Amino acid sequence: MTVTPAVVEEEEVEPTKGFQIPPDITQLGIISAVIAVITLIIPGLPAVVRGIGLIFALLWGMDSVRKTSKYGLGTGVPSIGVLAMGYGIVGALLGIAFVKFAEPMLGSFSTVASLAGVLLMGIAGWVSGVLSNHEKVIGMKIPGLERGMMELGLAGSLAMLLQFSIVAGSLNFDIVMEKAISNGLIAVMFVLSMMAMFHPYNACLGPDERRPRTMLCCVEISGLLCLVLGIALAAAATSAWGIADGVSMTIFGAIVWLVFFVKFVRMTMQEAYSTVGTGMIKTIE
Amino acid sequence: MPIEIATLFAWMLLIVFLALIACMFEDLESDTGSQSNPNSQVQLAAQVGQINRFFNKAISGEAPAYAMYCTIAGVIAFVLLSKGAHPLLALPIGAVAGEVVHVIFSVTAHLGRTSAMKRFEQPIYLDVLYGHLIPIATHGFMAVLCIICIAYIQSNIGTLSGNPGLDHPFALPMLAFIWGITVGAIGSSTGDIHYGTEREFQDRPFGEGKRVVYHGKITRYADCGIRTQKDIVSFCAKYGGPCTGMTFGMIILFENWRTLVGMKVSGYLPELQATAGDMTAIIGIVVGLVIGIVLIAGNVVIVNWARKRYGPFVGE
Amino acid sequence: MEPILLIIVVCVVLGGVLASLGVHLLPVGGAPAAMGTATGVATGTVMLMLGAAMCGLFTASSVAAFSDNILLVSLSGAIGAWLMMGVTMLVANVVYVFGAGVVPVAGRVEVDPITRQLQTPYKTPQCDGHGVPNVCYISGMAGALLGGFGGAFMYFALLNYAHFEATAAGVIAMGIFVANAIIAAYNIGGTIEGFHDPKFKRLPKALITCFVISLFCGVFVVMAATLGGLI
Repeated sequence: MTVTPAVVEEEEVEPTKGFQIPPDITQLGIISAVIAVITLIIPGLPAVVRGIGLIFALLWGMDSVRKTSKYGLGTGVPSIGVLAMGYGIVGALLGIAFVKFAEPMLGSFSTVASLAGVLLMGIAGWVSGVLSNHEKVIGMKIPGLERGMMELGLAGSLAMLLQFSIVAGSLNFDIVMEKAISNGLIAVMFVLSMMAMFHPYNACLGPDERRPRTMLCCVEISGLLCLVLGIALAAAATSAWGIADGVSMTIFGAIVWLVFFVKFVRMTMQEAYSTVGTGMIKTIE
Repeated sequence: MPIEIATLFAWMLLIVFLALIACMFEDLESDTGSQSNPNSQVQLAAQVGQINRFFNKAISGEAPAYAMYCTIAGVIAFVLLSKGAHPLLALPIGAVAGEVVHVIFSVTAHLGRTSAMKRFEQPIYLDVLYGHLIPIATHGFMAVLCIICIAYIQSNIGTLSGNPGLDHPFALPMLAFIWGITVGAIGSSTGDIHYGTEREFQDRPFGEGKRVVYHGKITRYADCGIRTQKDIVSFCAKYGGPCTGMTFGMIILFENWRTLVGMKVSGYLPELQATAGDMTAIIGIVVGLVIGIVLIAGNVVIVNWARKRYGPFVGE
Repeated sequence: MEPILLIIVVCVVLGGVLASLGVHLLPVGGAPAAMGTATGVATGTVMLMLGAAMCGLFTASSVAAFSDNILLVSLSGAIGAWLMMGVTMLVANVVYVFGAGVVPVAGRVEVDPITRQLQTPYKTPQCDGHGVPNVCYISGMAGALLGGFGGAFMYFALLNYAHFEATAAGVIAMGIFVANAIIAAYNIGGTIEGFHDPKFKRLPKALITCFVISLFCGVFVVMAATLGGLI
């Protein structure tokens, strides 16, 4: 993969065809973290609400990947997305173990204990960022790598925990093990989440890449993820809301995917150099 | 219940055959859609002024991409199987679902990359976009279908041969994930060479590595007209594709064969005796070591043959 | 603290460190290798290592179903990865020699350290080598052996000492393995030719970082298993 050299980030100030200006990177990170945490903690929410939290968590991860990869990682963009979800698996595992541990004490509010796992993984991510950037160790010299890798640890764990609670209905260790991990559903969660984090920037890589357009791609992939999770949930029919939960999640995912996919395709076709039915090629010396 | 050894061997050979087909189509699909390493040249071409009609499918490397299609196919098939659907129905439906996702990602990748090269004046050719989606989907469907068939057979091989104790402990989506990554890594390592070194720079001399000054200046005109991926995949299907299929087929063959030889010689089959477990593993390891040493010797033979026959580099 | 907890952490750390060592030994050429401009296998570092380790993990998990010996299971995983790399690199050489017509030579050294053959006369000018020469082949086999061993070692510890279920143990082992492999890939900057490459001298830095990260992950996994009631 060719990684283009560092590009000065430009924030477009005029809205394009009705799409609102998204908040800047720090604001979006804080908003996403808050929404994801709230939808994770409150027990008994329908899957659609948790799906919205999931979309924000993945957007946060995508922003972090985008910010870090702009400076050229050497290995290409996908590796840092895979790293985020690798951290996410360990962090989410720790989170669900904490929930089981806290259940006798906190009862139905034990979901708060999962945040301990998320925070611990954030610390591990920060440490790995420090070691990767420090000159005496790996020395990648990417500005903001420590913050980026910490955010990836946090976003990855939050995304994984939200998906566990969607599919299994609760965050208890035994229930999640039986319903989400042992039957292999964790594989699709891992793969689609990592795709949602790195594919938007990788697919839109180039000198004229624009952040709002990249964010549309991320929401579209999250919609696909919600659709797949909805199908798995509808088939298992385990949640407290019955089969309507799974079906509504599938429909929600399908609608989110369709709306944002059409928006993305339209926007890219308008913003490319030209979109022609067919044509000859030329060589520019 | 004793294992019927002949049935077990038959299922293993079927897995090898499916593996051969899967990896061949995986490589051809990555040539149809120009994925992974040679795609960097397609990206670079527009940046050095060589406007082209190639399909720029930049969905990461082949390993995570194939992991994604196979895992989605595996999950949908798993869900259908758990609801009681027959495997003959569930597996192709899963593969179709994986391919739908594949096509979606291809569209976003091509459009995203082309619109990010606005300043290089690379247009989006709609006929390139629409015309390549079906070849990508069909080649990918063959690869993904074979992979989830492999995963299904492996997770049920004991049941199919007589004793469920021999089933693989991983769940079906996890097996599909593992083989997706492996097939992507192999296809990327072997088949991409034929596409990248040979076909992409078809008008450069044969018999040398492609120098850095050639990079970006890919061959854009075909036998008759302007080249697209459809001209490329027919070339690579004659060498790169089958070689890649042979790679994965050989790997699966060696893996399964040494495990089976170990099981048979140590007496683990047909009653699955637990005491013979360690001996099975030891025999498998020894057989694997011998095969590996033969491979190293094979590489020495090929490199020496090439050095002797081709000789030092001639020209400047 | 019970000794079994310490053993699990040690196993995870050892697995992670072996993974990063294996990554440094693999001959990876990246995108230029696919165009015959660089020596090595024409793919990304992490993906190749993950592919080999997954193959090894598959074999190790089927062996773990009937064997209880940690050494045998890990060696089975190692041999699984070794075979995958061996066949892949051999067929890649076949495609280079017969499909593209190049002689496999290394670009970073004048003379092959193992077979003492000259490399530079056979190299295309303005290229950094092409193909998979003998030294890269052996280096790659060794790297896959170590990487597969590390992955299977972690898997066995998670399966039999921490009592995770098979798929869960496989996923967690893969997650920790991939994190270590990626950090090691950052260290080498994406491409390396093997142990003869000057970049190989950067190995200790990656080993330290992977040690720390695997230690974190090992402690987290042990905490999760204890709090989850598995141990």
